[in-house]
Amino acid sequence: MKPDTTTPGAMTEIAASLPGLSLAWRIAAREMRVGLKGFRVFLACLALGVAAIAAVGSLSESVKSGLMADARVLLGGDVDLRTQHQPISAEQQAYLHANATRLSSTVEMKAMAQTDGARALVELKGVDAYYPLTGAVQLDPPADVQDVLAQQNGVWGAAVDAGLLSKLGLSIGDSVHVGKATFQLRAVIQKEPDRVASIINFGPRLMVSTKALPETGLVQLGSQIRYHERLQLTANADPELFIKQLKADFPHAGWRIHGPGNAAPGLQRFIDRLTLFLTFAGLTALLVGGIGVLGAVRSYLETKTSTIATFKCLGAPAKLVFQVYLLQVLALSLVGILIGLTLGAALPFIGIELVKDHLPFVPHVALYPFALFKAAAFGVLVSLTFALWPLAQAQETPAANLFRTNVMPVMTKPRLHYVLAVLIGVFLLGSLVVFWAEERNFAYWFVAVSIVTVFMLHLGALGVMKLAKHAPRPKNAVTRLALTNLHRPGASTPGVVQALGVGLSVLVAVALIQGNIAKQVKDTIPDQAPAFFFIDIQPDQVSPFDLAVSAVPGAHGLMRRPSLRGRIVEIAGVPVDEVDVDPGVRWAIRGDRALSYAAKPADGTEFVDGTWWPEDYAGPPLISFDANVARGFGVGVGDTLTLNILGREITAEIASLRKIDWRTLRFDFAIIFAPGTLENAPHTHIAAIKAPPQSEPEIERVVAKSFANVSAIRVRDALEAANRIIAGIGAAITGTASVTVLAGIIVLGGTIAAARSRRVFDSVVFKVLGATRRQVMGAFLLEYGLLGLFTGLVGAIVGTLISWAVIQFIMGMTWTFLPLEAIGTVIAAITLTMVAGFFGTWRALGEKASGHLRNE
Amino acid sequence: MPDTQTALSSAIQLDDIHLRLSSDAGEVNILRGINLDIKRGETIGLVGPSGSGKTSMLMVIAGLERPTEGAVRVAGNDITHLNEDKLALFRREHTGIVFQNFHLVPTMTALENVALPLEFAGRAHAFEAAREQLDAVGLGHRVEHYPGQLSGGEQQRVALARAFVTEPTILLADEPTGNLDGKTGDTVMELLFDLHKRKGTTLLLITHAPELAKRCSRTLTMADGHIVADESVS
Repeated sequence: MKPDTTTPGAMTEIAASLPGLSLAWRIAAREMRVGLKGFRVFLACLALGVAAIAAVGSLSESVKSGLMADARVLLGGDVDLRTQHQPISAEQQAYLHANATRLSSTVEMKAMAQTDGARALVELKGVDAYYPLTGAVQLDPPADVQDVLAQQNGVWGAAVDAGLLSKLGLSIGDSVHVGKATFQLRAVIQKEPDRVASIINFGPRLMVSTKALPETGLVQLGSQIRYHERLQLTANADPELFIKQLKADFPHAGWRIHGPGNAAPGLQRFIDRLTLFLTFAGLTALLVGGIGVLGAVRSYLETKTSTIATFKCLGAPAKLVFQVYLLQVLALSLVGILIGLTLGAALPFIGIELVKDHLPFVPHVALYPFALFKAAAFGVLVSLTFALWPLAQAQETPAANLFRTNVMPVMTKPRLHYVLAVLIGVFLLGSLVVFWAEERNFAYWFVAVSIVTVFMLHLGALGVMKLAKHAPRPKNAVTRLALTNLHRPGASTPGVVQALGVGLSVLVAVALIQGNIAKQVKDTIPDQAPAFFFIDIQPDQVSPFDLAVSAVPGAHGLMRRPSLRGRIVEIAGVPVDEVDVDPGVRWAIRGDRALSYAAKPADGTEFVDGTWWPEDYAGPPLISFDANVARGFGVGVGDTLTLNILGREITAEIASLRKIDWRTLRFDFAIIFAPGTLENAPHTHIAAIKAPPQSEPEIERVVAKSFANVSAIRVRDALEAANRIIAGIGAAITGTASVTVLAGIIVLGGTIAAARSRRVFDSVVFKVLGATRRQVMGAFLLEYGLLGLFTGLVGAIVGTLISWAVIQFIMGMTWTFLPLEAIGTVIAAITLTMVAGFFGTWRALGEKASGHLRNE
Repeated sequence: MPDTQTALSSAIQLDDIHLRLSSDAGEVNILRGINLDIKRGETIGLVGPSGSGKTSMLMVIAGLERPTEGAVRVAGNDITHLNEDKLALFRREHTGIVFQNFHLVPTMTALENVALPLEFAGRAHAFEAAREQLDAVGLGHRVEHYPGQLSGGEQQRVALARAFVTEPTILLADEPTGNLDGKTGDTVMELLFDLHKRKGTTLLLITHAPELAKRCSRTLTMADGHIVADESVS
């Protein structure tokens, strides 16, 4: 029975009985029955972004799990104790023997390996009879490492990295000199279980027996030698408890202790940092995906204008219309996210196969629910945030639209609560990025740069449309049509500029940042950097060394300083673990630092605060400190640092602060002591010399001949290694950033597909009015070409600005504009849009006119 | 305070309705002081040249366009200042609309299209009522077909069924046979008037066909935003 609506108040009662969510779902389900054809772009964009984040997260967890699982192998035991310059004391040795089931000692240092005609810097490692405590050394030809290294017929054996063979032109069975000893190369090291992958290797590995080391003459007091004591505890022992007890029993020992929880902190940091950047790349892809979602939902709702108006004519309230289409978006988001999660979870299984041979441990590939959950959460938020605006606009579609033909979609601003909901969505997205990031500082920057980038691209798109609108009307009809299509109502310009523009901006920014860093390494540093660094010059060698190298023609600018290593244990009287040190200078408290002492400051020293000590100073310990590190520590002149040097703790007052630009490879030290504190400690000297390339071989020969214990590090080799690493990292980041461009291409394809019906209509009408196919195609291609040109330009400008900001303000370097990268981007953009436009337009031109000219 | 008796016997009352719409080209006066009183059960033919304001007046009556000046009362309700949701409720309860282009939802079957307004109203047994209505228009055997699978005449019959299923007080039809051939159009109009007779619905029909206008009890002629003639059939 129909309710009474004529008495007063009846309308209010009826108003209260609004249909619920179940009706909205029923109608949404009927709408989706026709299939997902119109949502291919939506699904692709969402799936790609979610897959990228899921893959990065799963890959990272796989690597971290593998690292944890293989921690003991990487560590070389349950616990690793590391000292510099000298081994542990007899008392400490006895303690370890009493509390561990097995012990293994190794020694590592840089050395020069020589043949009659060549020499090379190597990472020399001496191992004892118990090595390795965990894992196994894999050699080629297969053999037991102890057998390979043993003395045979009076000759010690060695196992080497394949790189040393090629560097010195040697084969297995040949001999090589290290210091005063000779070694026969008996096997190639295929896998060294406790050698954690280093970012920079100054030399290939040369492994020998510790019993052979005294014959080399390289193990001298003060030499830059790292001693390792690896322990195997009892089966039930907890390494962390053991470490805690060890620290309590030897509170001032100069060793660094590593347990399974921090077996490879450097590698761990590298993995975390790489994961961070790759996650940001994935998030950028998802951001582009969000723009794609926005476009796809808008396009879909444009086709539903008539249906929405019909619903309203039939009595559906605006809220119900919103619910119907929101539920569709949510359902499709679920599908897209599931596809993305499936891909993202599967990719690590493939990816690990490609890289596992290059890793020192076995990644543990599995399903990691939390990584997938994070990706799904981002997917849901992006989908909702970007879909909300067009949904809210669509619900404002007037029912009266049904009486009008050729209706334009509603572009009014949504109601205030929807605008607030979008802002909340953006805020939640940014908060999640920061909350889940390993390094919050980077995350804040990423969120800020993303928002600014999208905003700048949006402004760029508006600028392009305004430019096209106000440009002088071209005489040529084809050109006029193309230009008009850039700014007509419903033009795809904003969507394409934003989506493709984000990817292009990222690529340009990465290319320019990498280019600037490479330029600095390649062009600037070599002009200022020395040709060689020399280490392990004994005190009694300094004068003859100075004379020998200075005498080489072309050699100049010799600088030499005493050097030993120590570790900062307290800052202003507070243990380092309890100090909130700025992340940018945490390197200073990780591991040992190179220390020196001097009576006079070096030429060119730039003081920021305080004063240098008198040349004949003989008072309490004073230091001159790196001003940047001091700032990061929160200390200044007058504060103290306590360092553990060779087992002794020395507290020194900061007398002055120096500005040091490490990027120029300036020969300097972060901490320089005043005279009177370190002279009697065992130490060596390090030196640096400048020379033209043609003088380098002679300098190397002179040093190798007379100072076999001195290792020469050719800076050119180091810079080339750095260049390779920068190029490699740049390629990896560029490759990942390409996912962003891929997302942009999907959006471009979707935009072109969505505009197809209009293209068809336009081409039909044009043909009816007498245009040739060539003219019609010309107009469309020119339109896409212009769109690509403007998108490329906007992307290049935004990317250039980002690179400038990063280089100038974050890295503190001088920024250089590299035009090739920017131009390449513009060309790529034009090509992409024109190719996509061509394929989209070709099919539209083929449609028969008659079918489109009849009424519904 | 309106006269209650008059309000109850009047289906539609328009008091000095003006409608002005803004566009980039300036303001356009669509309706220029329309006064109209339509009694319940009347059949009104609305004729006039293109651009005379016929569709706009129909939209004002349906609550789809808000008048710039004047008052609109439909089925005893002053809808002049209702907000959009209340207008949707009003339409749901009181009006049925038939369009020249049918405007069926393409992703729903004939049955679902007809049931839709009942579902919006939260009425129980919506699909049973829809089935009955489709039977009444002779499409009981096509209930599961989609609009794309129906001819133009069949689609318009579905649209008629949808318009009548809520038993509206008034039925508004904007050139319902405009896209149909002669024979099909006749069939649809027979149905329309038959349903009107059976349910006593007030019918307002925009048409260019004089023979159709003659079937109505009253013909209004519009020109240039005014009602220039109001003829009743005796």
